[in-house]
Amino acid sequence: MITFERVTFRYPETDRPVLNGVTLTIPEGELTLVVGGTGSGKSTLLRAVNGLVPHFTGGHLAGRVIVAGRDTRDHPPRELADIVGYVGQDPAAGFVTDTVEDELAYAMEWLGVPPATMRRRVEDTLDLLDLSALRSRRLGDLSGGEQQRVAIGAVLTAGPRILVLDEPTSALDPPAAEEVLAVLTRLVHDLGMTVLVAEHRLERIVQYADRILLLPGDGRVVAESPAAAMAVSPLAPPVVHLARLAGWHPVPLSIRDARRHAEPLRDRLATLTAAAANGTHRSPAALSEPTAHHDGLRRPTPDPVVDVRRLTAGYDGRPALRDVTIRVDPGEIVAVMGRNGAGKTTLLAHIAGLAVPWRGDVRVCGAAPHRLSAGELVRCVGFVPHEPSDLFYADTVAGELADLPDGLSTLQAIAPDIEPRRHPRDLSEGEQLAVALAVVLARRPRVLALDEPTRGLDYAAKARLAALLRTLARSGTAILLATHDVELAAEVATRTVVLAEGEVVADGPTASVVTATPAFAPQVARILHPLPWLTVADVAAALAGRR
Amino acid sequence: MIQTVLLRNRARRVPLRRRARRPLALRPWSAVALLLASAVGVLAFGWPFLATTPPHASPNAAHAGDAPWIFLAVLPAVLAVVLAEFADGRLDAKAIAILGVLAGCGAALRPFGGEITGASPVFFLLMPAGRALGAGFGFCLGVLTLFASALLTGGVGPWLPFQMIAAGWMGFGAGWLPVPRRWHGRWPEIAMLAGYGAVAGLAYGAVMDLWFWPLQTSGLAAGISYVPGADPLTELRHFMAFYVATSLGFDIPRAAANVLLVAVAGRPVLAALRRAARRAAFDATVTVTPLGGDRSERGTPFRSNGPEPGTPFPSEASRPAGPAPEAGRECGP
Amino acid sequence: MSTVAPGRAGVTAATRRAAERTGPVTQPRDGLHPGAWWIWATGLAVAASRTTNPILLSLILAVTGYVAAVQAHTRLFGFFLRLATVVVALRMALAVIFTSGLPGHVVVALPQVPVPDILVGLHIGGPVTVEALLNASYGALQLAALILAIGAAVAIADPRSLLRLLPAALYEMGVAVAVALSVAPELATAARRVRRARRLRGEPDRGLVSWIRSALPVLHGALERSINLAAAMDARGFGRRGSAPRWRRRLVTAGLVVGLLATAAASYALLTPGTPGGVGLPLAGGGALLAALAVLVGRADTVRTRYRPPRWTPASWIVAAAGCAAAAGVISAGHIDAAALNPTGYPPVLPATPGIAVAGILAAAVPVVISHTTPDMRRIRARTGRPNREGK
Repeated sequence: MITFERVTFRYPETDRPVLNGVTLTIPEGELTLVVGGTGSGKSTLLRAVNGLVPHFTGGHLAGRVIVAGRDTRDHPPRELADIVGYVGQDPAAGFVTDTVEDELAYAMEWLGVPPATMRRRVEDTLDLLDLSALRSRRLGDLSGGEQQRVAIGAVLTAGPRILVLDEPTSALDPPAAEEVLAVLTRLVHDLGMTVLVAEHRLERIVQYADRILLLPGDGRVVAESPAAAMAVSPLAPPVVHLARLAGWHPVPLSIRDARRHAEPLRDRLATLTAAAANGTHRSPAALSEPTAHHDGLRRPTPDPVVDVRRLTAGYDGRPALRDVTIRVDPGEIVAVMGRNGAGKTTLLAHIAGLAVPWRGDVRVCGAAPHRLSAGELVRCVGFVPHEPSDLFYADTVAGELADLPDGLSTLQAIAPDIEPRRHPRDLSEGEQLAVALAVVLARRPRVLALDEPTRGLDYAAKARLAALLRTLARSGTAILLATHDVELAAEVATRTVVLAEGEVVADGPTASVVTATPAFAPQVARILHPLPWLTVADVAAALAGRR
Repeated sequence: MIQTVLLRNRARRVPLRRRARRPLALRPWSAVALLLASAVGVLAFGWPFLATTPPHASPNAAHAGDAPWIFLAVLPAVLAVVLAEFADGRLDAKAIAILGVLAGCGAALRPFGGEITGASPVFFLLMPAGRALGAGFGFCLGVLTLFASALLTGGVGPWLPFQMIAAGWMGFGAGWLPVPRRWHGRWPEIAMLAGYGAVAGLAYGAVMDLWFWPLQTSGLAAGISYVPGADPLTELRHFMAFYVATSLGFDIPRAAANVLLVAVAGRPVLAALRRAARRAAFDATVTVTPLGGDRSERGTPFRSNGPEPGTPFPSEASRPAGPAPEAGRECGP
Repeated sequence: MSTVAPGRAGVTAATRRAAERTGPVTQPRDGLHPGAWWIWATGLAVAASRTTNPILLSLILAVTGYVAAVQAHTRLFGFFLRLATVVVALRMALAVIFTSGLPGHVVVALPQVPVPDILVGLHIGGPVTVEALLNASYGALQLAALILAIGAAVAIADPRSLLRLLPAALYEMGVAVAVALSVAPELATAARRVRRARRLRGEPDRGLVSWIRSALPVLHGALERSINLAAAMDARGFGRRGSAPRWRRRLVTAGLVVGLLATAAASYALLTPGTPGGVGLPLAGGGALLAALAVLVGRADTVRTRYRPPRWTPASWIVAAAGCAAAAGVISAGHIDAAALNPTGYPPVLPATPGIAVAGILAAAVPVVISHTTPDMRRIRARTGRPNREGK
C-alpha cells in the first residue's frame, strides 16, 4: 500500500538528513505505530506519506514514496487527498468551517463529489464516528475528544484508503483517548483501512498495533512486529519494562496478557511484603505505601503552604468548583486528576491568584493570592500554564530570562543544552517547558503549579521532568500537578486529588487513590492488582531488596 | 538546589537569511485593476466636488443626487473584481491562511477601539502587514479585515464598502513606504511607519467624513452643508467647516492612537510578521534526486511553496546531532 | 465622526452579544435563501432613498421595525436602532447650531457667534426656524430608514450566510474571511489566557505595555496556526482545479478589467457637466454586464461542488417580492407626482402621500407571516443551557 524506496530527505538549508535511506513497505489493512523520540523524524515520515513532504515543506528528497500506486514526487498533497487522509497534531487548527457538518463536507467539495453522494457520505461518517448528536454544533464548542473525532471524520469523507494521524491522543484525557482509539481500531478491523499513527504515549495503543516502526533518531526506520520491537526499544510503556524486568517471554503488550504472566511475580511481591512486615527494619506505616517517594510518612503539619477551604468559584455564572478543600504541605507533590473540564485548571488558577473565589477561602503562603502584589505573588507561587509559550514574548531565550536575576543559571541547571540565542517559538515542547520552568523557578517560589505539563513530551523528557520535580520537593517546594497522565502521577506524586464536576471525590496517598479507580490506575497497578504497586521502579527496588 | 538534568537533544541553529517572495504580489493585471478600482473609489468619495452643475441644468445632473446610492451599489462590485483579480485562481493555501488569520486578528481588535474617540487598533495591524508582506497583501488585508470585523460585530451598513476601500488604501500605502533595506527592523523604519500612521489615520477620517458629509447635511442649507451644484471651492469651504465642527475630535485621537501603537508595538509586530513570511516562504524550491544513486539534482526543480528551514512545525524543531537519546532510563531509581 | 456609524456608545456590549451568538445552530439549512432578506432590505432602502416625504419614511421605518421585531432572533437590531438615533440626533443638532439664515417661522433665537470673514455663508447660532428643522428632520428620517433597513437584514439573516453564495472567482477570499471569522473569537480567549499567564511572571497587569506584551504571544500563536491550517487545507484537497485553457483565463481577466474601466469612466461621466445625456448609464450598465459575464465564465474553471447549497424556496420569492413592491411603489409614485415625494418644508405643511407608494410600502410588511425557522431550530432553541465547555 505504502512503499518507501531508499528515501533520504533533508529540510531546506540543513545538511543533516532527517530520513536516511529508508526502505519499507506498509501493507494494506494494518494499524502501524510509529515510535520515536522528539525530533527523530516521526512527523516527517508521516508527512512524506501525504506529500506534504516535500511539496509543502520544501527540501531535498532522494528516492521515492509510492502511495496506492501514486508517486508523491509527482503528486502534490491536494492530488493525494482522495487516497490519504492526514490529521495533524492540532486538529482544531485545521478547521476551516464553522459547524461539524460543513467541516465533514469540506473535503468532498474540493473533490467534486456530486451533492447526493456528499449527503450520504456525511451521514455515514456521522454514524461511524458517533457524531450524529453534534452535527449542527459549532466547532469551537466541542471538547478535545470530539474535535479529534471531527477532524478524523473530515478526512474520512473523502474516502481515503489510508489514514495518517500525528499524535491523536496526546491532549486527551483517558476516556476520550479510548474513544479515539476505538474509532481507529474500528476503521482498521471493520473497514479495512490502513492506519498510520505516531504516538508518544504508547501504553494505550501498543496493544492494538499490527506493526511498529522504530525511529532511533539517526534517520533509519526499523520495521518490526510489536512484540519484537518492544523487546528491544528504549521507548516502551511500563508494561513492557515490567516484562523485561520480570523476564516474561514473549513480551506482553496488553494488561490482560501481562496478567497471565504476572502470577508468580505477584506471589513473590506478596511474600516480600509479608516478610518485611515481620522483619525489623521497616516501619509498618511505610509498608502500606510501597511507593518510595518520600522518606517515611509525612504527617500533616499545622502550617500548610497551600490552604484551600470550601472554595466555590466558576465562570460566567456557572460554578466550576464546589466546596473544594485541599491542603498542601511544603515538600509534597500533589497530583490533581480528573477529566477535562472537571475544574483542575480552575483550581490551580485560584491557587495562583489568577481568579477571585466566589465563596470560601484560599490561602497561599499565609495570604490570599489574588490580593498579593505581583512581586510577592511570584515569590510565593510559580505557575506554568497549559501552553508554556503563553509566557514568552521575547525574541530569544536569553531575552525571556533577561530581567530575572537568576534566570540563565536556572535554565542552565534545568536544560543546559538550550542555546540562549534561539527563538523560543522554535523550541520543541520539552524545551519550551524547560524554559517556562526556568522563568518561573528563577524567583524561587514556595509553591509550583503545573498545568498538564506532559502534553507532547516523550518518555525521556517525562523522566527528566519527574527527576526535577523530585529534587524540588526535596528542597521544600510544594508542587501541584494538574494532569491526566496517570503514569507521571504514579511516578512522582505523594498525594492525589481527584476532581469530578468541580468536587473532590478522592484525596489521599497516591497509592490508595489511583488503585481504587480503574480509570486512573497506572499500568503496573492494573497488572499487579490487588497489590498496590504503582511503578516499575518500585517493583525493581523491592525485588532488589532495597527500600 | 536544583539538580542538573541534561537535555540530550542538541538543537541545530539554522540561520534564516533568505528573503521571502511576497504572497499576493502585484502582477501587472492586478496593478491595473487596483488602479482602476482606486479611481472609482476616488470618485465615490469625491463626487461632491465634481458634480458641479445645478440639479435642473442637465439631465445628468439630476442623477448626481443619487450618487451615494449608485456608488454604494458599484463599489462592492468593484472591490469584488479587484479581489478576484488578485486571487486569479492562483492563491494557494498558505497565502489564504495567513491572510485569513491576520484578518481575524484585526477583526478581533475592532471591539477594543473606543469608537467614541475614533481610535482603533484595527488599523494598527494593517501597516506592519503591508510592510512585511507587500503592498498588494496590505490592500487585501485592509479590505478583508474591515469586512470580517463588520460581519463579526454586526457593523454591516452603507458605510462598509467605503470603509473597506479606505482601509485597503491604508494597507497598500504602508507597503510602498520607501524604506531602504538597511533600515529594516530598526528605529528609522518604525519612525516612518509611525508618521505614516498619523497621516493615514487623519486621511482615513477625512475620507470617511467626506462620505458621510452629503448624507448628513444635504438639505440643511447651512454653511456647512453640501449644496448640490455649487462650485468646488464653495463645497470645499463647507466641507472644511463640517470637518472641523464634527470630526476633528475623532480623527486626532485615531491618528494619535496609531502613532502610539506603532511606537510601542510596531517593532515586535513587524519582526513577528517578517519571521512568519520567511517561515512560510512562498517560493521555496523542492529538489528531487532520482533513484539509482545519481546525486545530481534534476534539471527543473519543483517550484512548490515551502517554508524555510527550521520547519514551521515547532515539534520538529530540534533534531539530534548524534546518536539517539538514551531514553530507556526513565524508570530507573 | 466618520467611523461613528458602525460604532458608538453601546458598541462593546453589542459586539459582545453579536460575537457570542446564542444557540448552537448557525444558520437554518432548509429555511429561506439568505439572499431573499437582503433583497427585501434593498428594496426598502431604495424606496427610502427616493423620497424625503416624512409620512412615507415613517411608514417605512414602521414596517422595517415590525418585521425585524418579529423575525430577528438576534438582538442586533437594537444596536442599529441606537445607531440610527444617534445619527438623527447629530443631524438635528447640526441644524440647530448651524442655522441656514433663511427666513421662516422662528422657534428660538440662539445668540449669534461671529465668524471670520473667510468663512462666508457660515452662520453659527442665530434664529432657528421651523422650516429648517423640518427640512433637517426629513433628511434624518431618510438616513435612519436606510440604516435600519440594512440593520434589519443583518439581524434577520446572518451576513455570514452570504459567504456561501460567493461566485467561484471570489472563493479563495471567501475562505480567508471564513478563517478570519473562526479565528477571531479564539484570539480573544487566547489573549485572556496570556494575560493571566503574564501576571504570573510578576508583570504588571495594567498599562499599554502589558497589553502589548500579552498580544504578542497571541499574534505568534495565530501565525503558527496559519501554517498548520494551510497544511491541513492542502492535505484535504484545497486548490484542485480543472484545466482551463490559458486563453480562457486571459479572456476572463481582460473582461474584468474592461468592465472596471467602463465603470470608472461611467462614474466620471455621470458626475461631470458637459457630457451628453444618455452616455453614463448605458456605459455603466455595459461595464457591469461585462464584469458579471467574466465572473460567471470564470466559474467553469473549477471542479468544486457545493454541499447543501441554500435553495430558493417559494417563501424566499415572497419575501423578495415584498421588498421590490415597496421600491416599485415609491418609484412609480415619483413618476406620477414628484413634488409630493420630496417636500422641502417650506411651507411647513403636511405633504400629500401618494396612495401607490403607501400600498407598496405596506406590501413590504408581508414577510411578517413567513416562518423561516425549521423544526430543528425551534426544538433546539427551546432547550435551555449551553453546550458543554471545557473548564479551561
